[in-house]
Amino acid sequence: MHGIDLVIVVFYLIALPAFGLYFKRYIKSDEDFFLAGRMLPWWVISLSIIGTQIGATDFVGAAGGAYRFGIVQAHFEWIGALPAMVVSALLFIPYYWRAGVYTVPEFLGRRYNLAVRIILAALWILWFIFFLGVLFWTSGLMLSEYLGLPIWVAIIATATIVGVYTITGGLAAIAMTDVVQTLVMFIGGICLSALGLWAVGGWEPMVAKITAAHPLHFNLFLPIEHDTYPWTGIILGLAFVMSPAWWCCNQAMIQRTLGARSAWDAKAGMIFAMFPKMLIPLITVLPGFIALALNPDLLGENADKSLPWLIKNLLPTGLAGLVFAAFMAALISSVDSILNSTATLLTRDIYQRLLVKNASSEHYLKMGRIMTLVFIILAVILAPLTKLFPGIFVAGSTMLSLFQGPTFAITLLGIYWKRATRWGGLFGLLGGVALASFLFFIRHWKFLDIAWISFLTAMLVNVVVSLLTRPEPLEKLENLVYGLVMKKHEAS
Amino acid sequence: MVEWLKEAPLYWPKIIAVLTFVGVTLWAWRRPKKFIFQDAPDQRLWRDLRIWITLIMSVQIGLYLYF
Repeated sequence: MHGIDLVIVVFYLIALPAFGLYFKRYIKSDEDFFLAGRMLPWWVISLSIIGTQIGATDFVGAAGGAYRFGIVQAHFEWIGALPAMVVSALLFIPYYWRAGVYTVPEFLGRRYNLAVRIILAALWILWFIFFLGVLFWTSGLMLSEYLGLPIWVAIIATATIVGVYTITGGLAAIAMTDVVQTLVMFIGGICLSALGLWAVGGWEPMVAKITAAHPLHFNLFLPIEHDTYPWTGIILGLAFVMSPAWWCCNQAMIQRTLGARSAWDAKAGMIFAMFPKMLIPLITVLPGFIALALNPDLLGENADKSLPWLIKNLLPTGLAGLVFAAFMAALISSVDSILNSTATLLTRDIYQRLLVKNASSEHYLKMGRIMTLVFIILAVILAPLTKLFPGIFVAGSTMLSLFQGPTFAITLLGIYWKRATRWGGLFGLLGGVALASFLFFIRHWKFLDIAWISFLTAMLVNVVVSLLTRPEPLEKLENLVYGLVMKKHEAS
Repeated sequence: MVEWLKEAPLYWPKIIAVLTFVGVTLWAWRRPKKFIFQDAPDQRLWRDLRIWITLIMSVQIGLYLYF
């Protein structure tokens, strides 16, 4: 890396925590720490959602996916996100926000029972810890490769940078630094794509060159026999189940909307995040195509090297530093949000509910900070294991798809159907997760298929068990169920 | 997978995708205006989230018909 690139990267990595530290002065209570004092405006929520959602692994993975499979990779940003974001903004977020909860499991605990809340919180915490380990390892690899640091120094450096403002400033610092990081990410990504397009002679020549060798690369839907992305999996698994589950039930996505200053800001934050979301293929998928047009020799798994190859061979001095800063921004903006969400889940859903019930706000603020520090240390310890036992971490990362379908099913029924009972919710969740685990570990099904099968199973079990058990009292369901809220709206 | 689904032409998923975008847009317009503007500081046009949803979904329909 050249001197000027190094200066850009080091300046960025020092300025970021310094900016985040500024928000420490506003943190006086646990609500300030976990929900930014419910003062976030819509534009901060929008950019923070996008920053949280794109990690550096998405950059590399999406470019590699586009290199191998084509524009089908863009589904994850288009039909695999945008319709679900509308549903989340206009159906789920208003209920979470009105209920005044800190977490999605807390909402489901009110709607169903404590067991549902604890099981879901535990599943999310486990998954987040695995994912944090993977993110720290990725970050360590990137920093060590570009800055020449030993990998353990790089991992501890990342942990320190993130820890400084995540522990002190909570969600407010995270959301505000996410705004900066998302802008850096887009500026760096668009520079890379623009230079790349210029290098291949423009859009039309690039399409002609790729289509000659890969005729299906610009088809959005691939045949049903396709190993990775059959169109049935994209429509039924991704668009109809996995993406609504991600956008409506994922604590890391939802938490910044719960910190909104008003119900309108909560909804608008999600809706306006759709604009940058729609443009993400410009900075992830397009570089994959450019790499394919310039160097068609990265076969199979090597396709994931397409983006690093492009950066190494295309970018002039100065821009390489900016694009690397964009990579780090993508990574850090995901790590900080997941850390905060994990600490929120553990503090609110486990510690405050089961261990210390009626302590002061300052006590829970202190616990939130301690939990964040514990998770940072845990992720640093787990990070090197990614290399030693890749199978465990692949299983950990894919565990998400095992409970996303059932979670979405019981949340959807909980909000839309007042007849759903606590036992229906509990058995729906357990039945769906059990079936998904069986299909994955024993039958080796594809994730996209597991998602919609486990979703339908959880729905069916929830309905059957609910009809066989006593209905919930109406006063318990007030403000939690669509029909009752609408009736109240009309009466007012 | 069932046989008739294997034989289905590739414009089927395209039609399903476009119908999804249209359906979500129509569903958004069926939300009461009071609900959309709930807590909004004023009633200016740009705060009507349904307009932005329509704009984004229109671009999506264009993209899915083009590719």
